[in-house]
Amino acid sequence: MARTLAMFTDTSLCIGCRACQVACKQWNELPMEEPEWTGSYQNHAHFTDKTYRLVRFIEKPQPNGELQWLLMSDVCKHCAQAGCLQACPTGAIHRTEYGTVNINQDVCNGCRYCVSSCPFGVVAFNADTGRANKCTFCNDRIHNGLGPACAKACPTESIQFGFRDELAAKAEKRVAKLKEMGYTGAQLYGVDSNGPLGGLNAFFLLLDKPSTYNLPEKPLLPQRNVLVDSVLSVGAALLVGVTAVVAFRERGGKGAGDA
Amino acid sequence: MLKTPGWHLLIVWYFFLGGIAGGAYFTAAIADNFGGSRDRGVVRTGYILSLLMIGVCGILLILDLGTPSRFLNMMMHFKFWDPMSIGAWMLGVFGFFAFVSSALSLSADEGRAPLRRKFSLVGTIFGFFLASYTGVLLSATALPFWSDARLMGALFLASGASTGMAAISLLLYLSGDSAGEGFKKVKRADRFAIVFEMAVLVLFLVLLGSAAAPLTSGHLAPLFWGGLVVLGLVIPLLVDVLGARWVPAVIPAVLVLVGGFILRYVVVMTHA
Repeated sequence: MARTLAMFTDTSLCIGCRACQVACKQWNELPMEEPEWTGSYQNHAHFTDKTYRLVRFIEKPQPNGELQWLLMSDVCKHCAQAGCLQACPTGAIHRTEYGTVNINQDVCNGCRYCVSSCPFGVVAFNADTGRANKCTFCNDRIHNGLGPACAKACPTESIQFGFRDELAAKAEKRVAKLKEMGYTGAQLYGVDSNGPLGGLNAFFLLLDKPSTYNLPEKPLLPQRNVLVDSVLSVGAALLVGVTAVVAFRERGGKGAGDA
Repeated sequence: MLKTPGWHLLIVWYFFLGGIAGGAYFTAAIADNFGGSRDRGVVRTGYILSLLMIGVCGILLILDLGTPSRFLNMMMHFKFWDPMSIGAWMLGVFGFFAFVSSALSLSADEGRAPLRRKFSLVGTIFGFFLASYTGVLLSATALPFWSDARLMGALFLASGASTGMAAISLLLYLSGDSAGEGFKKVKRADRFAIVFEMAVLVLFLVLLGSAAAPLTSGHLAPLFWGGLVVLGLVIPLLVDVLGARWVPAVIPAVLVLVGGFILRYVVVMTHA
């Protein structure tokens, strides 16, 4: 496996220009969608099968009653332990040699289990093609020596592309610097390889706690439930089996209804 | 914001009929192995019913795919930790068992009965699997309520048992075979299954606590309380226990089946 690639989105540098969002649409040839009124400058409201990059515009109330903009360019996290990948029964969702998570459109059969297995609500079903879609980490570009279109288009280097280890070191420095400058809420999200989901290959620097950005504080792998629930189901099966045996058992060839 | 898979009525029907297929099969296999010659109606009906249901299930699942022509892509991988993957495989394995058991139960001469009994005892495992894995499949997602429900698989299994038994008794009734010992026994087994399902449901709700709100107090609540709890569990059990003879024997079975469908409906539609 090649060295893991990553995207580091530093929200403290985002100016909300949406160049990333547009570059993503253009490079990936994603059609436009009906805009949706969100009550904010944010558009679109959610990831869809046609929107893989999305600038979130969060209005955070300040103690003095004014609102503070928190801007965040959001994207598929390319989790090291990816719920969608583990859920995919066809193998269409796979990990590339660069550590990114991709959906092979020639294999996906549209069962949509991945859609419900993403802890971030990223993977979306495309009703036109009958397949699941999400950010590809510009798979075609990174295999040709180019960074993802979003990172390339970002005018403030809020989105940076590179090797994961180098970006992680950069991110640590940056968060220390911001704290020094008085941004006490500054924190990294998904950088820790020992953290939730084994770390995210698209990680973030946030200026506030994750939930302010509608991110789960501690994203969990859906498959964690399989073992426990299966054991409980086996227990239930044994109990049902015993009651059925009792109901059907022949007693001395008589077997009358005297249970 | 989390995304829902957009599973609707096709999946509700699949979960319901898959439960019946699994439940009818293990009921028949247990009757076959532990019952007597008077249970042959139950045995044959259960095997054949499970075979028919599993055929319908396969069609429902393929139709629900975004790209149905690619349904065989499920067979290119096997992920033992992934309910969707094992489920697709087990559908085929279970279908094989249901087919062989049905075929061996057809002939009037019982020469092959010992073979069928042993074979079906192994198949019982897959019957239990089919009835329960759909619940585990839902709980292994990122969505609240589904993933909070530790007993979803157990609840679906209990419902698969009660609906599978109800379906057998209904078919026996319709074919005029409701006077025999087998009919009485399957009714009794169903009574046990209903009681067990009620117990699992109570535990299911207690363990969920406030996470059960989509079922117990949301817009699906009337259907849940009225359709599943009252119509599908309490009334059939009361009719059965009180021995209300003026109620046709077919009514409790139909109510249990309706309740089983409503259970899958309210659970799936929580994230429609």
